[in-house]
Amino acid sequence: MIMKKISTLILILFIGVLTAQNVEFEKKNFPGRKDELKEALANIKQGNEIFEQGENFYRDALPLYLKAQDFNPNNAWLNFRIGICYLNSFDKKKAFDYIQKAFLLNPQVDPKIRYYTGRVYHLNSEWDKAISEYKMYQSQLKSSQKEEMKDVTKKIDECNNGKVLSQTPIRVWVDNLGPEVNSPYHEYSPVITADESVLMFTSRRPGGVGNKMDEIKNEYFEDIWVSYKSGKRYTQAVDLGPPVNTENHDAAVCLSPDGSKLITYQGASNGGDLFISYLVGKQWSKPENLGKAINTKYHESSASFSYDGKILYFVSDRDGGLGGHDIYYSEINEKGKFEKAVNLGPTINTEYDDEAVYMMPDGKTMYFCSKGHNTIGGYDVFKTTLENGQWTKPENIGIPINTPDDDAFFALAGNGRHAYYSSAALKGYGGMDLYKITILGPEKQPLLNTQDQLIAMAAKPVNNLKTEQAVEPTKPKMTLLKGIVYDAKTNAPLEAILNLIDNEKNIILASFKSNSATGKYLVTLPSGKNYGIAVQREGYLFHSENFILPADADYQEITKDIPLKKIEIGNAIVLKNIFFDFDKATLRPESYNELDRLLKLLTENPSIKVELSAHTDSKGSDEYNMKLSQNRAQSVVTYLISKGIPADRMIAKGYGETQPIDTNDTEEGRQNNRRVEFKIISIK
Amino acid sequence: MIRFAKNVFMRNFMAFIFLFCSIFLSAQNDTVKIAANLTPEQMAQNDYNTGLNYLNNNNAIMAVQMFSQALTNLPNFDKAYYNRSLAYIKLNNYNDALKDINQCITLKPSDGAYFTKSLIFLYQNKKDSQEVALNKALSINPGNAEANYYFGMIHFNTQDYDKAIQYYQKAIQSKPDYAYAYNDLASCYMMKNNIDEAIKNYKEAINYNPNHPFLFNNLGSAYRQKKEYGKAIEAYTKATLLDENYFIAYINMGATKIEKGDFASAKSDFEAVIKKDAQNSAAYNGLSAVYIKQKDYQQAKSMASKAIMLDANNGQAYYNRAIARQLLREEDEACSDWKRALELGISPAKNFISSDCGN
Repeated sequence: MIMKKISTLILILFIGVLTAQNVEFEKKNFPGRKDELKEALANIKQGNEIFEQGENFYRDALPLYLKAQDFNPNNAWLNFRIGICYLNSFDKKKAFDYIQKAFLLNPQVDPKIRYYTGRVYHLNSEWDKAISEYKMYQSQLKSSQKEEMKDVTKKIDECNNGKVLSQTPIRVWVDNLGPEVNSPYHEYSPVITADESVLMFTSRRPGGVGNKMDEIKNEYFEDIWVSYKSGKRYTQAVDLGPPVNTENHDAAVCLSPDGSKLITYQGASNGGDLFISYLVGKQWSKPENLGKAINTKYHESSASFSYDGKILYFVSDRDGGLGGHDIYYSEINEKGKFEKAVNLGPTINTEYDDEAVYMMPDGKTMYFCSKGHNTIGGYDVFKTTLENGQWTKPENIGIPINTPDDDAFFALAGNGRHAYYSSAALKGYGGMDLYKITILGPEKQPLLNTQDQLIAMAAKPVNNLKTEQAVEPTKPKMTLLKGIVYDAKTNAPLEAILNLIDNEKNIILASFKSNSATGKYLVTLPSGKNYGIAVQREGYLFHSENFILPADADYQEITKDIPLKKIEIGNAIVLKNIFFDFDKATLRPESYNELDRLLKLLTENPSIKVELSAHTDSKGSDEYNMKLSQNRAQSVVTYLISKGIPADRMIAKGYGETQPIDTNDTEEGRQNNRRVEFKIISIK
Repeated sequence: MIRFAKNVFMRNFMAFIFLFCSIFLSAQNDTVKIAANLTPEQMAQNDYNTGLNYLNNNNAIMAVQMFSQALTNLPNFDKAYYNRSLAYIKLNNYNDALKDINQCITLKPSDGAYFTKSLIFLYQNKKDSQEVALNKALSINPGNAEANYYFGMIHFNTQDYDKAIQYYQKAIQSKPDYAYAYNDLASCYMMKNNIDEAIKNYKEAINYNPNHPFLFNNLGSAYRQKKEYGKAIEAYTKATLLDENYFIAYINMGATKIEKGDFASAKSDFEAVIKKDAQNSAAYNGLSAVYIKQKDYQQAKSMASKAIMLDANNGQAYYNRAIARQLLREEDEACSDWKRALELGISPAKNFISSDCGN
């Protein structure tokens, strides 16, 4: 008991000593330094004037406060004020020393000193210390301080989330994208093509279109910048320029997987609206407003298309949500118009801000950031997947990607191994920076040359290779198909329409365009479908491809350049999406889309006469193959006649196995040899 | 967990064959007597005995010569054909061995002769013929322990562990102290992931032959599989006490300690091997694994490189060096190593080539 009293006394004395060290800006404390004191007080006064303009200006007050601090480093109030300024600056971690010193100099310097001490511990991921400080602050609150109570309770929850998630950090490398991309100003909202070749992002650096300051935010207006992959790095970023960027806020929101469509945010429009721009050749078109179903007088800030471009997921703080910004979706109808927006509901949206939606090209994985759910502080990145039409409970993607500060705008590359995002907490070039995440997957266990002699009569022991548990690849199950469409004769790149067809349902899933200047295209195909791809351009024969991707087909990238042949005598195409029953000439329903395309071509070009030929592989007798191929060619012709094409415009010809285009020694080769061809034999 | 390499090293069965032959012959030697006035039959018996002596002293060339002499004097001497067949086997002359054993069978069919014939087919990698000969042996004597044992092996190699178990059990039934059969039976249970039954049978094998380090090593591996690390280490230690140069047990013990999380002690095991055999690639690879677990990737890379230098076909070392290199951010080099590991048969490398290599 006596010991306890002595300890308390010592503690009081200790605190008293520390309190006594608080040095006020008074003459008596600085004898003979009258002018310096006067200057320090003037700096504080000037700093206060700036400080009072609001938190966006705190960092401008900092240099003045720091000058006064040089003169008198032991004033509790000034230390506290500098700490607050740093907490609102690009360099939050510097707040730590000042807040802590302020507390040591005078624990009563401010009613919220415990709260801010908690904040700096929190930002430093010192979870237990932060919780302790927050709880001290919490205990001092009055019952009427409901807002403060709610805030500090949430902060405690965040720290507890941090404690849990820090037990199981995920294995990733987080690399700053370097000075070619980042600057001393904010960079955020990276958007990438599926193959990572193009990176666009939002920056608040000087040098944008207009190069003007946002006087409310006390920062440069946002502009969209672009950088291209070169080897393992990105090139020096350049402003995307007009017409995409304007003199006001322009932010990168979503880039289609093939890099041909860009959704942007324009701050000057109606409280902040979403726009869309198209890459025509090498030029981006003037952004068009996405319309009233998407944009309201409220703040619409981010968006992402589904892989087939038929649903737009977007963020708005419109009335009727669950609080703050929420994620909505809108389906695009057959006329190409957006349907009424639907809130994604309480599984995804919280009473806090839910932002930065990003839909994976696999069609079922969504990333977004939120200040709710089990965030560990500020915005954290979450993942959810669509299973049986329902979104799963969002999962915090973990430490070290998520930090106690804002982490947002997560965009995963098509290969699933790399992701890009912006973070405020990590040490970068200033403000928020862009980072590349390399996902390493589960820890790799080493192998040893262990051996056992399982069979006694074997004089040599048997290697007991300890196999590692299968690594669940992080790669999404999809195929990324890319290449160039070009004129088969001149090799000139061509703009063409690529229709993606679900052969089983016989419907067009999506339409894309190759770039008019480069002919480049990129299509993502989620696994689990029989896809037909038809490439069309006026004046040319269409080109078709077929991809049967089983549900368990892993991520792959296929480069396929597509030559288009003009409608000229002698030109022929292989119809890769015409299917027959096994060993029969009966057309399968999956063929109708291709047949109808052929029908359209013949209808639109009434002067052409064609040969429709069928070919087999070398299995079976020559006679049998000849007969089968003749019947198959005739089936196609009969179908077209039934649709109104005059019989005298078509010749059905079976070639059996006489004209192979590939080897008959492999299944792939045989598959290529089994085909139907279409050849122009005359033009009237 | 345990992968059985199909190629059992057949040519090393010689010791067993001669052990078997000795038993076969010892029952007949007492009938061979030498007299002063030698009949052709007696001369043949003398030459036969001399040949047998050469055979038992590993002089197969002289043995063939003496058995041939015996057969000149006594052309239907079945035992001479039998033993000359064994001598030819020892000389890797399987064609002549087969001719002789067929001659022996013609003169006097026996389960032993058919069994020897089955071994010749085994060496010639004629599995179907081997099975036919073994079946013949069993049709004469269903209780032939060796024939049953070898049938067990055939089924083990084809991963038909249930059938293998049946044959090993028959072998044990005929020969209750058949330690090798217990070992193999235990291994079948290991492959079926019935670890308790495996342990029981390894222990039986040890009970009948406590001097074979590999039996303790296998017992250790069974305990390791069960994550009973203390008992595993105890068994491996016994193996090393029986043969201090039985490095396999040290390596397995080190691996067990890594799994247990006792990295320092695992390191000592690998270093103990290196002290005795500075060229031991497996031990250096073990050290690389320890360093990977200790997150000292530079050292891990260095040790794996040393293992590769000592054995360019050590696929596990390439695999481990890749892990270290990846974490040292030498990603291209790591992928090269995984590719090499895969070429060397380390199939888990395939996962990483697919997931971690590329752009």
